[in-house]
Amino acid sequence: MTEKVQRLVMHAFRGVPAEMTVDFGKGESIAIYGDNGTGKSTIADALEWYFTGEIELLSHEGRQHAVRHVGSDEAGVTSVEVMTNGTLGGKVVFPDERQPEAFQAIRRETFLLRGRTLADFINKTKTEKWKALVQILGLDDIESLREDLQRARNELRKESKAAEEQVRAYRGALASAGEQVTHETVLASFQQICGMLGVDLPGSLDQAADPAWLATAVGASAGDSEPSDRESLLADLRTLSAPAFDKSALESWNALVGSKRARLLPRASLVREAKRLVDAQQIDGRCPVCGQTVDVKKLARSIESALVDVMEAAQEFERVRDPITQWAAELRAGHDRRSALHDRARASALELPPLPSPPSEGLQRCVGSLAPVDVAASTAYLSELRKWDQAVRRVAQKTSAPEATTRDSQLMMLAALCQQVNMWRSAERRAAQALKAITLADRVFEAYQAKQKDDLAELLKRISRRVAHIYGALHPGEELAEAVSIEPWTAKGVELAVEFYGTRQRPPHGVLSESHLNSLAIALFLAMAEEFNAQLGFLLLDDVINSFDVDHRGRLAELLADGFADWQVIVLTHDQQFFEHLSRRAPSWRKLELTSWSYDAGPRTTQYDASGILAAARERLASGDVHGAATKARRALEELLQEVCEALWAPLPFRRGQANDRREIGELFKGVRRTLKDRAKTLLESTEPLLKNLEADVGATLNVEVHGSRGRSGSNEVEAALKRIETLDATWSCPKCRTRVWHRGNPEAGRCRCGQSAFPPAPVA
Amino acid sequence: MHRPSAQEFLLTLLESLEDLPPDIARRFTEILKEKDENRAQAIRRLFEDVAGD
Repeated sequence: MTEKVQRLVMHAFRGVPAEMTVDFGKGESIAIYGDNGTGKSTIADALEWYFTGEIELLSHEGRQHAVRHVGSDEAGVTSVEVMTNGTLGGKVVFPDERQPEAFQAIRRETFLLRGRTLADFINKTKTEKWKALVQILGLDDIESLREDLQRARNELRKESKAAEEQVRAYRGALASAGEQVTHETVLASFQQICGMLGVDLPGSLDQAADPAWLATAVGASAGDSEPSDRESLLADLRTLSAPAFDKSALESWNALVGSKRARLLPRASLVREAKRLVDAQQIDGRCPVCGQTVDVKKLARSIESALVDVMEAAQEFERVRDPITQWAAELRAGHDRRSALHDRARASALELPPLPSPPSEGLQRCVGSLAPVDVAASTAYLSELRKWDQAVRRVAQKTSAPEATTRDSQLMMLAALCQQVNMWRSAERRAAQALKAITLADRVFEAYQAKQKDDLAELLKRISRRVAHIYGALHPGEELAEAVSIEPWTAKGVELAVEFYGTRQRPPHGVLSESHLNSLAIALFLAMAEEFNAQLGFLLLDDVINSFDVDHRGRLAELLADGFADWQVIVLTHDQQFFEHLSRRAPSWRKLELTSWSYDAGPRTTQYDASGILAAARERLASGDVHGAATKARRALEELLQEVCEALWAPLPFRRGQANDRREIGELFKGVRRTLKDRAKTLLESTEPLLKNLEADVGATLNVEVHGSRGRSGSNEVEAALKRIETLDATWSCPKCRTRVWHRGNPEAGRCRCGQSAFPPAPVA
Repeated sequence: MHRPSAQEFLLTLLESLEDLPPDIARRFTEILKEKDENRAQAIRRLFEDVAGD
């Protein structure tokens, strides 16, 4: 069974300074309407935080602590409480101490789509789409293992290459000038030296590599024939080989730094800052750089697109730069090794030619500053280095070719040859094993990746059908309605595709308008939730129709009302037309209107809840929190007076916009008195003493700001004030059905729900 | 929808591949059971060990 939300209670959370409750009945769908800045997104944030442990926008900005309302009383606890029709409900208190594992299953479910992130999926790169999809599909463990297999495979490949390189180096050390090294040529060398020494030939190269053979063959004298420092130096000189050179890597780098993409990178920090300002809604219609008037939505889209370009450019630079950096490091290491050999040679009175200088520092500097590298200089250096290696090998050959005139020098030659063979054979064994390991790793990795791709393709096929169907409902009669799909792209990418007048468009950005792309993202969101949600039975859409015209808003309202009747749909919108569409097409849905937001009171709605706030004040008083009870009591009185003024059409001065929610409490008292004077004089006379006492309470007992500095009211005083507010509250309700006397009809002919009480009500004793 | 675990997915795959060294599935299972932070290194060693056997 999937679970629906029945009640959400936020406390000192985001835009709610004290407490706000949203009631969803038994888990019914709801349309929540409010202008920008009235607190709608706080509701979405609360559900996101509760069900995922984070608010993605805040995590991106590193401002996770901002879940707490900035003006909240220090002692007030920030919390979100959710009641569901199952087991997922509960209460989370800030700081959230839940571990990431707690959300592993829920994170795979789709429930939140925001206007600001709507285009995100569409605009992600193919690889990012792949990652997002595998996470949604719950295949992230499988993806993570694929990445580890790939890392292991890559390391083994590097090791295998290094082992082959070593084999080549040892083989080179055994070669005479221009000669290919084979078992036969090496055995021929043994034949020559053994012949001079008069010892038996080794049966095989493996036997020659075994130190025991040398000892047995030449007896105790072999112990004296260990290679000297000079011999060891000569052996080292013979193994030198220049690192492999990939000229195309340098050319690719130069092509990249000369391309348009290179000009994007210096803008990265600017674009990120711009994105931050847009996300934080700090752009108020004027460009923060030049001050000109801008269309904020258009600017946000441009910034989003620029950010994607910058990120892709950065990835490409990284990919091309890494091999060059690695190669420069190899050149530096090779140079250091040769320098050391040069020093050792000098110490052994062996003259070597001067070493060429490597271009590694220049390369590092160029890649660091995005400048072109000097390909010709690198090519020339490699050529010089090879010549140097050849020259020192010749010096080594010449120096080590002793005239086998004495037995000692012959023994030394044999020992050196045995050592070289030993190293060569060991390197060959290591290379063979490394090749076996990389072959196996390659096979497993390739098969794993192919299976993963096939399985995902099958899943995508399933979603694609549903995406196309939903998209068709939003755009009936359009050519491409039935031709939308999500397709695998290379080994680890996915892309959206559409059939557009006979041509396959992948991605579809070039042929679809922004609103069509948004429809596609909404269709994808709904299809994924339908296909994969196992626990969450609600969908939360926060301001998603900004680019839709009237017709498409209507179609989306119809789709949500009819096509998703089994789901709990929570729609947050600042668009009155869409709200009205939903009200007409989904009459059974709940409605909630947010009218304003203020720093002290938070979001205000068209629903009054004086009784609820009074009950909260009583709870505070019972727990000994007298100050908290006084704050709540004052809030309850304001709520009650506002409700009465609105219901009785109190003649208050007209104020434009949200200012009606921010009237002084004294003004509300005046409004109640004036309307009662006009229409219910007797009630006014009987209620006047109560109103006067309440005005006195507002100035003293409930004047919490003053008490903050001068000492607080006693619990008896707050208790008395609460009773008076409760009496005023009860005045407007039917004693039988408890609904307000203006529940039906206009203020002239208002009646309660049961019809027994009417306006003006009888005064409460 | 059944979401296979990484272990299930890999073992099904290994079963379908012919001529693999014996014991490789068991060795993989051991690695995947332990929550090794450097799992890629453990897998690399596994391939090296199996190749050396």
